[in-house]
Amino acid sequence: MKAMNRRKLITASAVLAVVGLAATALPAQAAEVGVTSTQIKLGMTVPMTGTASLGYNKIPGAAKAYFDYLNENGGIYGRKITLVVKDDRYVPTEAVSKTNELILKDKVMALLSPLGTANVKAVASSVNPARRGIPVMFVNTGFSGFADVKKYPTTYTVLPSYVMEAKIMGQYINENFAGKKIGLLYQDDDFGSDALAGFKTAGTKFAVTVPYASGSQAAATAAGWITKFKAAEVDVVILFGVTSASLYMLATAAQLKYAPQWMIGSVGGDATTLKLAGVPAGVLYNAIGFSPVPATTDMKDEYVKLFSDIYAKAVPGSAFDLNVLLGMNSAFMAAQALKAAGQNPTRKSLLAAIDSKGATFANSALVPLGYSKTSHVGLTGYWVGRFSPAGDLAPIGGTYVAYTTDSGAGAVVKTTYKRPAMPAKGLPN
Amino acid sequence: MKKILSLLSVTALVTTVLITAPSVANAAPACDGKSPIQSCVGVTSDGAPYAMQVPANFNGTVALYSHGYRYNVDIPAGIPLIGGYKVTNTPEPVPGGNAEVAKYLFSQGVAIMGSGFARQGWNADSAIKTNVELIDTFKKQFPTTKKVMAWGFSLGGIITQDLAEDYPEKFSAVAPLCMADNVAPELTMAGDFLWGVKVLFDPTIKAGNYSAGAAGVAESYADLVKVFTVMGKLQAAVATGAWPDTSSATGKSLAAAGVPSRSALLLLGLMAGLPTQSAHFDSISGPEGALKLTFPLAISPALGILENGTNAAALAILATQDVENQTGGAIFDNTKTDYSARVEGERVIFNAALSGNTVIDALLGALSPANPGAPRAVANPAAVAKLNALESNKGAIKVPTILMTGMADPITPAGASQRLVDLYAEQLAAEKAAARKAYQSSGLYVAPVNKLLMLWNTTPSSYTKFDAAGSPITSTPAAQGTNHCNFTTAQLLLVAKSMVQASNTGKLPSGGALYTAVRKAGNLSIDKGISAPWLKYYGDNR
Repeated sequence: MKAMNRRKLITASAVLAVVGLAATALPAQAAEVGVTSTQIKLGMTVPMTGTASLGYNKIPGAAKAYFDYLNENGGIYGRKITLVVKDDRYVPTEAVSKTNELILKDKVMALLSPLGTANVKAVASSVNPARRGIPVMFVNTGFSGFADVKKYPTTYTVLPSYVMEAKIMGQYINENFAGKKIGLLYQDDDFGSDALAGFKTAGTKFAVTVPYASGSQAAATAAGWITKFKAAEVDVVILFGVTSASLYMLATAAQLKYAPQWMIGSVGGDATTLKLAGVPAGVLYNAIGFSPVPATTDMKDEYVKLFSDIYAKAVPGSAFDLNVLLGMNSAFMAAQALKAAGQNPTRKSLLAAIDSKGATFANSALVPLGYSKTSHVGLTGYWVGRFSPAGDLAPIGGTYVAYTTDSGAGAVVKTTYKRPAMPAKGLPN
Repeated sequence: MKKILSLLSVTALVTTVLITAPSVANAAPACDGKSPIQSCVGVTSDGAPYAMQVPANFNGTVALYSHGYRYNVDIPAGIPLIGGYKVTNTPEPVPGGNAEVAKYLFSQGVAIMGSGFARQGWNADSAIKTNVELIDTFKKQFPTTKKVMAWGFSLGGIITQDLAEDYPEKFSAVAPLCMADNVAPELTMAGDFLWGVKVLFDPTIKAGNYSAGAAGVAESYADLVKVFTVMGKLQAAVATGAWPDTSSATGKSLAAAGVPSRSALLLLGLMAGLPTQSAHFDSISGPEGALKLTFPLAISPALGILENGTNAAALAILATQDVENQTGGAIFDNTKTDYSARVEGERVIFNAALSGNTVIDALLGALSPANPGAPRAVANPAAVAKLNALESNKGAIKVPTILMTGMADPITPAGASQRLVDLYAEQLAAEKAAARKAYQSSGLYVAPVNKLLMLWNTTPSSYTKFDAAGSPITSTPAAQGTNHCNFTTAQLLLVAKSMVQASNTGKLPSGGALYTAVRKAGNLSIDKGISAPWLKYYGDNR
C-alpha cells in the first residue's frame, strides 16, 4: 500500500504540470506504441495469396507507394510512416493471428485498411482493438455494421456500405430495367446480407438469387451458377461478390457463351484486374458498374493523375487500377489523420482527429465522407458507369453522376457534393 | 479416433509418500520424521486422505494444492478411450506430482500438501471443507506455520478461488490454474454440446436426465460409447460431409438438403462455446496444394471442434450424471436458449466452414424450438434449485491471485478466467474510486494494490502439421494453449515463484522482472488487451 499525503500529491501534480508545459515546446517525443521520434508504424492484414487475393493484393503496394512519396516529402512532422503488411489469405482465423503479431510483436500504432468483412469481425471479437484503444482506420469492407460506433468504437469504414451500393443498384434497375428478370449472385455471409437488405429497401425483385459460401468460388462452381441463372431465364445478372467470384463467373460465361446484361458491384468489379486475369474485354463491354472514386483511366482527374504517377514510379510495370487507387486514397487519408492527431500523435489523439476532422479529409472520392463523433461512416455513395468496348468503367454519358444515400431507409439522391481541390502535391495540409 | 485424441489426465502422479496413514479419521498425521523432507499422511474427518511434505528449512509457508476433476465412477474397460479408469482419492500435493515444482518450493523453505478428497466428481463443497480442516491440521502439526498459499488445477482451480473468496484471512497468495467456471456455466456448455449431438446425430443418446443410482451410471456408459462412435463417424466423413447412419430424422433431412455434417458439428461447438483451435488443428494451416486454403477455411475448424468435443464429451456425460445424482434430477434446460443469438458473432467468422448463411439458417431452424424433431431439454426445477445452491464464487479477488489458463482449453475455457479478470477490473476501479473519495475527506491517499496477475497460455501462430500426402498429423504433442491444463514445467515454476513472491511481500511480480520471467517461461502473455469470451451461459443469464 502506498500512502501519499495531500501536500505531496499536490506537489507531484504541480511538477507533472510543469513537465507537461515544457514538453509542448520540445521536439517530437515518442510517447505512444508504434511512434518514435523518427517513425510511425502502421499495420495491415490483407489477402496477398489465396483465392480471394486477386486484385486486393495490390493494396499494400499502393499504400506503401503513397507513404514513400509522403516520406520523401517530409513525412508527418518529420516522422516517416512505415507500413507492416501481413498476408491473411482471407482466412478470418489467420487475420486474427496476423493482427496479433502486428500489435504484440511489430507494435504498430494503428491498423490500416484490413480487408474482408469476416476478417475484420474476427479481429474485432478476438483481438479486440477497441478494448486496446487501437485505431482501425478505413477498413476495406463495405459491411454497414462497422459504422456502429458503440460496437466498433475505434473502427472507421471508408468504402460506401454494401447496403448503399445495393440501394443505388436497385434504383438504377427500377429506372432502367423495369420489367426485366433479375438474378443475383452474392456471397452468403454478412457481405451478402447487407446487399440483400439494400435491395429489399430498393424494392428489387429477383427471379433467382444464387448464394456462394466464401472460399467456394471456382470455375466449376461458376458453371453451376450459370445453370441456375439460365434456368430462371434472367435478363440481368448482378455480381455482388469478391473479384475472384466475378472472374470465375465472367470467364466461365465467356466459355459457355452466356451473355446476360451484367451489373457488377464495386468489390468485384475492377476492370483492370478482371482483364489481367483473363476476362475478355468484350465480355465486360456494356456491363454496368459502380465506383465511389473516379475512373482509373481518367487522367484528367488530378488525384488519378498524381496517384498513377506515384504508383508507376514505385511499382513499375504494375497496372494502376481501382484497388491501387483506393489503397492510395486510404493512405492519403491516414496521413491526414496522423497530421491532425498532432505533433506527438497518440492512439487517442488519432481517434479524436478522425472524429472531429475526418469528414473534411481531402480524398479522390466523388461522394462525401460521413465521419463525426457519432458516426464512423466513410464514403456515402457511388457514381454509375458502363464498361467501354475496351472493358474500362466510364461514366454514362461522359459525366460523373454520383448518388448518395444511407444504410437505412433513406432515399437515393443525386449528390450535389463538389470535391474540394486536391491539396498541393497531394500532401496533407 | 485415438489418433486425434489426447485424453484428460486423471491419474495423479504424486511424489512418493510411503507411510501408512492413520486409520482414525482426523487423527494427527503420521510423519516419517525424515530429513531433508519429512513426509506425513493422514485422513481428515470426512475420510479424505492427505499428504504433506515439509522441508527441513521450513519457513512457515505451506502450499495447498487441490487436484482437478476425477470421475467418480469406475469406467469399464470396454468403453473406448477412457475405459479401465478406477476411482482414486490419492492425495496430490503438487500439480501432477511435478518433482521440479516441489523441489523449487522446498528450496524456498515452503512445505506442500494436498488432499485426495473424500468424494470425486464435482466436489467443490466437500473439498473446501476438507481443505479448511487440512490447513488446521497442518498448523497443529507444524506450529511455526505462518502463511498458507493455495493453488489448483481445473476444478481444483475453482476450489482454490472459492477458498480465497470465502476465507481470505487464511491465505497469503493463491493460484487458480486452468480454472473451471461455476458448476452451472460449465455443465451448460457440456449440456448444449451433448444435446446438439443427440438431436442431430443420434437421438438414442440420453445426454442427461439419467436414472438414479447404478441405472444412471449404466446409461452414462452407454452415452459414452454412442458419443464416441458418432465422433468417429464424423471424423471419417469430415471431407465428404456425410452424416452418421444414426442421425435423427432432422439430421437426415439436413443431409438430404446438402448440409455437410462437418458444418453441423462446427455449429454445435460454437453454440456451446468450445474453442475452434484444438491440440492439432489451428484453423489456419493447410497442406500444400489444392487444399492450402480450403482446409483452414472449410475443414480445420470442424476438426478442432471434433477433437475438443471428444475430449470434453466424457467429462460432460460423467459430470452431468454425477451432479444429477447430487441434485436429484435433470439439470440441463435449454427451453429458452436462443442458439441463433449464441452464434451471432461467430457465424460470419466461420461462415465458410459453416457453408454460408443459407446452411447456417437451415441448421439453426432445425435446432429451434419450432422443430418438434429437436425437442428441447427440460430440467427438474428442484434439481436446478439444488444446483444453484452448490458452492460457487462471485469472482471477488481478496488475496494476491495468479491465474493461468490456455487460450484454447476445451474443458475449462479461457472465458472462466476472463470472467475473474473482468470482474476484478470493476472491483479495482471501485477501490480506486473509494480511495479518491477517502482522500478528499481525510487528505490521505492510499492507492489500492493490484491483486491479480493473469498469465495467458497462448497458442502458436500456426501449428497444424501435414504429412507428405497432405493428411494432418495428430500424433504430435498438443500445441501450447490447447488441451486441458497443458502447462510446461517452466510455466508452473513461474506460477510457483510468483506465488511465493506475493506470499512473502504481499505484492505480485510486475514491471521488467515480470516481463523477463514471462518471456523465459515461454508461450505466455500478460497482455492486458487479450480478451476471451465468457462462457455462453452468461450471455443467456447475465
